Amino acid sequence: MFQAIIQALQARTDLAAWTLRHITTRGAQLYAVPAGVEARRVVQDERYIVDVLRHTPGFDGSTTCGTGTVTLLPGDEITAALDTAALTGGLVHNPPHAIPAPAEMPEVALVDPALREESAALLDAAYTQLRQAVAAYPAVRMTAAEFFTDEETTRLCNSRGIDATQITTSMEVEWVLIARDGEREVETFVALSRRRASDLDLGAEVVRRARYTTDLLMATPPPRYTGPVILRDEVLAEFMNSGVIQTLASGAAKFSKLTTWEIGGSVLRGEASGDPLTVWANRQLPYGTHAGRFDNEGLPAQRVALIEANRLAAFTASQRYADYLSIPPTGAFGDIEVAAGTTPAAALLAEPHVEIVAFSWFNPDEVTGDFACEIRLGYVVDGDRRTPFKGGMLVGNVLDALADVRWSAETGFYGDYQGPTTARFHKLTVAGE
Amino acid sequence: MTDLQLPPGMAALRGELGDIVAGIERRAPYAAVWLSSRQGLTISVDNQEERVDERPPAAGTVLTAFDGVALHERAVGSFDRTPVEKGALGLAHDISVIAGPGIDPGPERRGDFATSMEIPPDTLSTLEKLDRCRDVQRRLRGLDPRIVNARVTYQEISEYAVFRNRVADLGQRVQRVRLMVMAVVSDGNEVRYNWRSKDATGGWEALAYTDGELRQVVDEAIALLTAERIAPGEYTIIAAPIVVGTIVHESFGHGVETDMFLKERARAARYLDKVVGSPLVNIWEDPSYPAAFGSYFFDDEGMLTAPTQIVENGIFRRGITDLYSATMLGIPRSANGRRQDYSRKAYARMSTTAFARGATPVADLFAQVEDGIYLEKWSSGMEDPQGWGIQVTCHFGHEVKHGRVTGRMFAPVGITGYLPDVLASITAVGDDWDMDGGNCGKGHKETVPVSSGGPHLLMKARLG
Repeated sequence: MFQAIIQALQARTDLAAWTLRHITTRGAQLYAVPAGVEARRVVQDERYIVDVLRHTPGFDGSTTCGTGTVTLLPGDEITAALDTAALTGGLVHNPPHAIPAPAEMPEVALVDPALREESAALLDAAYTQLRQAVAAYPAVRMTAAEFFTDEETTRLCNSRGIDATQITTSMEVEWVLIARDGEREVETFVALSRRRASDLDLGAEVVRRARYTTDLLMATPPPRYTGPVILRDEVLAEFMNSGVIQTLASGAAKFSKLTTWEIGGSVLRGEASGDPLTVWANRQLPYGTHAGRFDNEGLPAQRVALIEANRLAAFTASQRYADYLSIPPTGAFGDIEVAAGTTPAAALLAEPHVEIVAFSWFNPDEVTGDFACEIRLGYVVDGDRRTPFKGGMLVGNVLDALADVRWSAETGFYGDYQGPTTARFHKLTVAGE
Repeated sequence: MTDLQLPPGMAALRGELGDIVAGIERRAPYAAVWLSSRQGLTISVDNQEERVDERPPAAGTVLTAFDGVALHERAVGSFDRTPVEKGALGLAHDISVIAGPGIDPGPERRGDFATSMEIPPDTLSTLEKLDRCRDVQRRLRGLDPRIVNARVTYQEISEYAVFRNRVADLGQRVQRVRLMVMAVVSDGNEVRYNWRSKDATGGWEALAYTDGELRQVVDEAIALLTAERIAPGEYTIIAAPIVVGTIVHESFGHGVETDMFLKERARAARYLDKVVGSPLVNIWEDPSYPAAFGSYFFDDEGMLTAPTQIVENGIFRRGITDLYSATMLGIPRSANGRRQDYSRKAYARMSTTAFARGATPVADLFAQVEDGIYLEKWSSGMEDPQGWGIQVTCHFGHEVKHGRVTGRMFAPVGITGYLPDVLASITAVGDDWDMDGGNCGKGHKETVPVSSGGPHLLMKARLG
């Protein structure tokens, strides 16, 4: 069917360009409740996605451009589908843009051979491993777990000559730990996603989460506090992947006038008084969950120097917005990489602070950077004393926070984030009681 | 009942489903088949560009077999008979029956259903829809010189589904539409934005905007340019209907999904027939609510829809169920077994969740506020069914002094607190009612269309 679609596309004279993606997915899923396995699922999917580009006369007679997309399932009628895409492409009148030209597609580590070969068995192995790890902590119980594995193969061809294939694997694991003390019951929820099963250190995660869960039983009401706040590991990754940098540094947002960031200008709102912020948008990150040899348009993976010492170095842009803004195309953002600091994490943790280890959802306004996010578990830390608390909100602004932060020298990899393991934000507010 | 025109592949396979179910049930005590096809269109028009995009379709067959303890499923991305029959054979072959509770297939039920519409989207050409969006965008973009971009986004989703088990043969078409307007404004230094959305299960008749509504979107966006951060603390608040709907959705919506009872994740399980809020609190879940964005005729496990009262006069009465949790907990079903699409399992999920209308005129609610905040628009929420915490973020809030909105605005405003405290603080319920629709995840995945609403409420909460 792939070749038949290509031939049909090549035969059309009304298209200025086209891109075809053939995506096949195989997945396995396992769901567990306290009594054992609740459900097992096997998923198969295959689809062909066609993007077409047409040149049409604009309202003033100038040449304009329109795009259309159609998805075909195996056996669907090709001509009718392409007619629909072409019709759609002829309806809108945008400034002309191109599609990506052939380029070398870098090799990026994306596949876990074990996940390809024995995905269902790996689900059961992970479930067993989790149960055994949790059993070492009698104060907590695992009451729910979900496991997903996927293997996705994408072949992309376009009318300019790109013909590339990539295979990716992924594994997602979620689980819930419950602890009870009389009538008081508390939970922690964990969701992890990686391309390789071996990057999910389930044993170490259980150790950490079991401690959090039992600490929640002793949690106090949230304090009223303004001062240093520490984020580490997955929570720091959540902070940096919350969408503010991704939005404000995107060519699409620039074209839509949603961002005032300029190349060479500071990305911070005030004066920088912490470590400099240097960020890459990285689709080449080995086993990064948003990494890939090429993106949906066929733009090859890049490691884009996005922010250098607090100043915007580049926008991320698809071919379309790159053409509109006359900037180099970078393709999709990918994973975020942050430059390490120079201070050992131990030094950042030494002075009194508040550490947040779980938010309900860290979701700042992606345009302003403002946030007010509920705290599921935090600690007031003074020396060796860690007093857990639950509730209240962490209040601030992402860009202001990044203006006054110290990054650890130690770095880690968390699926969609590569960078310092620890960040000490000098002044944030906990809205407590 | 209606003359349902299913997509051809789905229609052809429907006639085979009885035999497929019977074939699996030769080995398994319960089997079912669900066919689903979702497709749609998104049109976006702004000052800079226009887009007409297909919404990524999801179409496939779910074959389900119960072995007495667990559900086993094959999800096939096709309605083609050969792979579906192969999947059914494999499913039946792999089943080993274990002694356990039986799944009740429900009463005998047959029927086809379709959303009623005055202006069905498929009676308009794509160009006509694009032109309607262009018209609204033209009206919006000229309202103020500080508008740097004005965007109108139209979405339509057409969902066909067929459910078959040994006693049920059901088909439905649910048509959802939404039209969102967004104004992006700038004073030269800062950029702010505001939006409004209209949605329905229905057609274009639900999507008209008045000039006043567009004006309000722009005025609020401009006011955001000078909005302040609110001082964290406890406030008297008036929550607008769609904010109330979000609070209800995140609390006694997600919090009473009975798959969470089975997973021991829902504190509500210990509060059956107990007080959870003020006697003024009445909360409903109703997938049959006419024209609501989250509504449908039967759920993804073949249960016909009907309203469920979750909280009655401040007392928690019952949760909302999927088939598996209802079976294992031995509780009555409600039509809330929903899947993101054929590739995902069914969970207990909301459809249209709402706080019931009260008796107090809204003006009287404001008159009772000496010093407080009016929260008019939500932007996000997150559930905490075990901890009963609340996180609802509002795009902005208005200062209220002596019963009047002063013009001072705060943004964003987070609502937090312990749920029973918040619900106990409700002292007056407005006599109005409104709702809005959106897409809801269970945690951060499993997205389904929902709606939520209520009246204005007078209450207290911690803001920040």
